Amino acid sequence: MKQAVILIVVAAVLILRLRSRIKRRSGGQKPAWSGWGAVTSDVGLVAAREMRERFRGRIFRAGTLLVLAGVAAAIVIPTLDKGTPAPQKVDLVGTRSAQLRATVVSSAESVGTKVHFLSTSEETAYADLRSGRVDLAIIAGRELVVNKPIASTDTSTTAQFVLSLAQQLGVAEALAAAHLSPAQSSALASAGALPVRSLQPGAAKGAAHTTSLIGLILIFVMLTQYNTWTLIGVMEEKSSRVIEVLLATVRPIQLLTGKVLGIGLVAFAQASLIVVFALALAKSVGSDLLHGTAPVVVVSTLVWLLLGYAFYCWVYAAAGSLAQRQDQVQSLAFPLSLPIIFGYIMAITAIGSGSPSTLFRVLGYLPPTAPFAMPVLVGLGAVTWWEFVASALISVVCTVGVARLATSIYRRAILRTGARVKLRDVVSSAAR
Amino acid sequence: MGALLELEKLSRRYGTITALDNLSFSVPAGQVVGFLGPNGAGKTTTMRAVFGLTDLDAGTVKWDGAPVGQSERRRFGYMPEERGLYPAMLVGEQLEYLGRLHGMSAVDARSATTSWLERLGIEDRVRSKVDALSHGNQQRVQLAAALLHGPEVLILDEPLAGLDPTGIDAIGAVLVEQARSGCCVLFSSHQLDQVEDLCESVTIIDHGRLVVAGKVDDLARSGARRLVVRVEGDREALWAKGLPGVSVSEVTAGAVRLVLDDAVDSESVLRAAMAAGRVSEFVFRRRRLSEVFREALA
Repeated sequence: MKQAVILIVVAAVLILRLRSRIKRRSGGQKPAWSGWGAVTSDVGLVAAREMRERFRGRIFRAGTLLVLAGVAAAIVIPTLDKGTPAPQKVDLVGTRSAQLRATVVSSAESVGTKVHFLSTSEETAYADLRSGRVDLAIIAGRELVVNKPIASTDTSTTAQFVLSLAQQLGVAEALAAAHLSPAQSSALASAGALPVRSLQPGAAKGAAHTTSLIGLILIFVMLTQYNTWTLIGVMEEKSSRVIEVLLATVRPIQLLTGKVLGIGLVAFAQASLIVVFALALAKSVGSDLLHGTAPVVVVSTLVWLLLGYAFYCWVYAAAGSLAQRQDQVQSLAFPLSLPIIFGYIMAITAIGSGSPSTLFRVLGYLPPTAPFAMPVLVGLGAVTWWEFVASALISVVCTVGVARLATSIYRRAILRTGARVKLRDVVSSAAR
Repeated sequence: MGALLELEKLSRRYGTITALDNLSFSVPAGQVVGFLGPNGAGKTTTMRAVFGLTDLDAGTVKWDGAPVGQSERRRFGYMPEERGLYPAMLVGEQLEYLGRLHGMSAVDARSATTSWLERLGIEDRVRSKVDALSHGNQQRVQLAAALLHGPEVLILDEPLAGLDPTGIDAIGAVLVEQARSGCCVLFSSHQLDQVEDLCESVTIIDHGRLVVAGKVDDLARSGARRLVVRVEGDREALWAKGLPGVSVSEVTAGAVRLVLDDAVDSESVLRAAMAAGRVSEFVFRRRRLSEVFREALA
């Protein structure tokens, strides 16, 4: 609680300082344009055009369908072997007591399956095992026979059933050998484990783990795709010279804000569509995507997709203003994508290990890598809400700084034609 | 008196190059003014400065007595030298979008788009992408983009470049019509014959400085007398060369265009021509704009 109060106070002070700086810079005068309404209207018009053109694009439609197909596969395929398993076919050779049958049924139920009993001779049972007609043969109530050896790591229903049954029959035999009464045997057999409480949150497992991974891939794909769109969009306006017509009417900051806002809204709409589709599909097929902390991870993924785009879009837009032709895009985009790739690889590693390193925790507070690290930390249960908010605030403050710098570069570079503009030329012209 | 676009003491340097050097001139509303100068004279820089696309080292641009800002520029129309449109966007949607950026409502922008495309004879291309149009039609769309919102000031950088005679006539007619309706029209061109036909006034600059400005009629009447003489059978006009106070401006299709000093008696020229053969044409002409241009820059 104390930490939350401190964070709110720090945020309020930062906002007040920012406002007073802006007022000081503008000398307390109103801007030259005709009013805030005109500014927002221009930004809205530019954003609306960007959205309309992107939604219409074949790349957007095909890309959305492709991602939806990928998400569907990631959700549906793991559930295919989670349906009601086929009953386990068990040959009983010799002993066919009610107690044995009850133990077998109990073991089957413990792994979520049923049993179909067959009574046969030992030779027929071996033949049935070899041909696959039965899964297990119980010889004289004491020996379990399967066709192939079962590894302790085998997670198939048959393996789980056989291992569980072997354990139960072994315990039953030990209890019988100890000459305990049926009531004592039953009490011992049904004994449960004591609960174990941990001081630290547990590592991610199951649903949150899967959701983190899907969310991470979504953030990586979308940040890469939409930031590249921003870069190419700015470069195309410059190379087609439509920029002169536009800047004769609107200010560079309005044009740039409208562009990144429009593309950002398209990105968020696409991400929301994917998430809604994923959640609806998960619910309909009974996936565990919605269980446990997974919904929190979904929300965290969307929040960091927004924050990540907000941070990177300005950088890519500034880079686009330096380019003149399509072939210059690759060389400009590559260095910008390095922190994205680094954050993505580190996040994948953290999900795999299930335990975040100190370095990874630090990356969760750095705006270039936080969009990858923070949702994973949430999925791993390795971050508190106020750490999440602190990281988001750091990202927002840094985004404001990056946006100011990027706008300055954009304004100086966007109308320079000819060869590719070098960043140092833009910076030196700003210094003059 | 109508509104006036005033450019006052504009200066701009790019490193060691002076693009604009204390340049001042004005363009009145209701006139088509030709903006002339050799390549690199500073015409494009001047036009860009009106729209804030070039940062000036000094000077101001005023419209109707007030410095030009963002809200004034919304009421201006601009056609840049390097044509600028979204290549993959539909013509109609592109024009509506640009109209709305100039403050038009969606309905007005759509109506103006339809009207201007019809006026320029490309209404059937409203659903075409810009990059599917011919050069001339792209030029027409670009002009429509500058005119859509009914600008008070229209500034066009080389609007006639690359057009066939029909296209030049169509665009020229639109410029004159705009001026008649009270718009202030300034356009640059290297096609001086067309400028002479379309413009009431011209402004000539060189090295970022004003060289000549005035009405085309006044400039044509000023300067040395022009005399056109045709001597039958004489295609070289050798008789005119060496006449005192007379210089040959050009010889075309048997006719020689002479520039006479003030002291020269035209009768002495006629006698020299008659001595060379039968004179079928002997007439004084106005100074052509191309001559004004060359003499201004000499």
